[in-house]
Amino acid sequence: MKIKLFSIIVVYILLCLFSLPVNAQNDNSSDKGIKLGGYLQTDNRLCLKDDNEFSWQEYRLGLKAEAKPLEKARFYSEVWLRSWGFPNVQNISDLKDKNMVSTWNLDLREAYVDFYSFLSDNLDIRIGRQRIAWGTGDKFNPTDNLNPYDLEDIWDFGRHLGSDGFKISYYPGDFTFTVVYIPLFTPSVLPRGNWASALSSPMELPHGLILGTLADTIDLPEKNLKEGSTIGIKISKNIFDFDFSLSYVHARDPLPLANKITFIPTEKYEEVDIKSQLIYPRMNIAGIDLAGAIGSIGIWAEAALFFPEKIKMITDLSSLGMGVHESVALDNKPYIKYVIGMDYTFKNGIYLNIQYLHGFIHERGATNLEDYFMFGLECKLLDNKLKITPIAGGIEIKEFKDIKNNYAIIYSPMITYYPFDNAEITIGLRLIDGKDTTSFGRVKDYDELFFSLKYNF
Amino acid sequence: MKKITLSIFLMLGIIMSLPQDLPAEKQLTALQILEKVDDVINAPKDQDLKIKLILVDKNGKEKIREMSMLQKGSDKRMVKFLSPANQKGIAFLSLPNDIMYLYLPAFKKVRRIASHVKNTKFAGTDFTYEDMEAIRYSEKYNPELMKKENDSYVLQLTPKKEVKTDYSKLIIWIRSDNFYPFKIEYYNKNRILYKIMLREKIEKVNDYWISKESEMEDLKTKHKTKMCIVNVKFDSGILEKKFSKRYLNR
Repeated sequence: MKIKLFSIIVVYILLCLFSLPVNAQNDNSSDKGIKLGGYLQTDNRLCLKDDNEFSWQEYRLGLKAEAKPLEKARFYSEVWLRSWGFPNVQNISDLKDKNMVSTWNLDLREAYVDFYSFLSDNLDIRIGRQRIAWGTGDKFNPTDNLNPYDLEDIWDFGRHLGSDGFKISYYPGDFTFTVVYIPLFTPSVLPRGNWASALSSPMELPHGLILGTLADTIDLPEKNLKEGSTIGIKISKNIFDFDFSLSYVHARDPLPLANKITFIPTEKYEEVDIKSQLIYPRMNIAGIDLAGAIGSIGIWAEAALFFPEKIKMITDLSSLGMGVHESVALDNKPYIKYVIGMDYTFKNGIYLNIQYLHGFIHERGATNLEDYFMFGLECKLLDNKLKITPIAGGIEIKEFKDIKNNYAIIYSPMITYYPFDNAEITIGLRLIDGKDTTSFGRVKDYDELFFSLKYNF
Repeated sequence: MKKITLSIFLMLGIIMSLPQDLPAEKQLTALQILEKVDDVINAPKDQDLKIKLILVDKNGKEKIREMSMLQKGSDKRMVKFLSPANQKGIAFLSLPNDIMYLYLPAFKKVRRIASHVKNTKFAGTDFTYEDMEAIRYSEKYNPELMKKENDSYVLQLTPKKEVKTDYSKLIIWIRSDNFYPFKIEYYNKNRILYKIMLREKIEKVNDYWISKESEMEDLKTKHKTKMCIVNVKFDSGILEKKFSKRYLNR
């Protein structure tokens, strides 16, 4: 772990230094120096139940470096240095390890080089760790399947990891063609803490059995181009004042799927340990998105047709004398996820954003897709010093025919105060209610108060 | 004899010049005046500006913003924020037919924005997104000559039917010597005056007129935004392709 962190630091410093000699030679313009910037952010969350425990405490220093040594080249990087508020101490020896007492990590979010007008005037190339954000939806993007999800903080929804690869963009006339190639597979980061249970369905045990321990192993794809690579192609054009894109992605689902479960009896009566094996299924995804306006209302829509690989589920109950059962973990029947949204600013400055989403990120298969209505309403006051978001959140509906027993609601009002340039202070609530059958309903006991402070420099 | 001949020529010269100048000036219609305004403010083939914005609240407290602005012709404009740190990198592209894009670095994405944002303030300034668009007034407004003063024209502009705007009318003061607008009053949909823009330091740079300092005041909030041109380049051959999504995040 330490070696990995050290390597990241060394790479980052080297990348920064890389631009310096060039800068020294060409330091005749403000555009040609290395520019450093970033922010400091603190994020504290307090549970409203369970003795008001802290559910999150993060101190993040985001550092950005950018250099344009040449007119046709640009370097950009972003690193997060983070300290977590909760000590990871379990015994005396842990107290001797500073990293266990005050946990921290370093995260290379992006580090890439752009080459503009490379070989041809209409060709740009980006090489390195990068975030490639596809889709027109607001944070909910079924066609955004190149970078794995970074769900570590579920409330920072829409965050993805950067991927090491290259992106070629070609601009003939009014068209834009984009080709992305990411040689190796990286899995998604799953939510920390309480939210881990939200994105996985509760395990159903055969009648009369009690769960002992649950252990799992993950089979990552082999580290070769055939098994691990991701390819994406997109074509974009403005037609009748609407921006249209068609895309195709050959990737792996970045969230794991169980394909084998083994039940092992323990010494206790009716108790079983479960071992599960998880894999990352191949997916081919055809996407379409559009953005534009009807009258003065902004609208967007995005749909992704998933063609998954068929995955069998093996349930091994042989230790219980019940044999081995085979079923389907993921059918190869195509399914579609989509989002439709609109936004509008009223004359008094109140901004409204509404989206309808069919199929959340962790949902797979035509029969497992749920419906979500997301909404936000905000207004700015006192010369933009105060932003009030009285209504924000979403409604999850698992089954329209029986909404009463298949719904969840998230309500998250907040206030942001900008005391001076570059500074912002936010305080808000996250309240969840719903049924256990839904994803959000499973975390209904984790209402929280949050407070964050950010300073940009 | 020579004196008499010279006097006659001078007289003739003056007489000949009168029918050409005065009636011609009088004959200018409101539309012709407005078209001249458009020609003057959009005269350069392209413009490359570095701008300092000073935001002044009602208590006199100031905030500074810096941005670059590129304009090609009269209908393509790209604005990028250079400071402060929390706004650095935000870029706005305005194209014909009310097509606008916004790049927000935090989201790594170019976002299409609809015309409902036109009446909202641009990054906390007193300029709206609509004010930040490149414009030819004569294409969006019907002008009416309200009065001709000693050294200026005053026009009332009402939006054409097909134009989406949040202004019910503008009243615009135009210098009669160079047709440069130096004061604009903005009226909201309720026909109430709510913003005034004053353009000062109107100078000629490379044969083109430009106001190096302007000020927009919101009369309701008493908030002002001063716009100072720090650096200006005209006709530097900015490529057409720079006014595209491709260049928004560079």
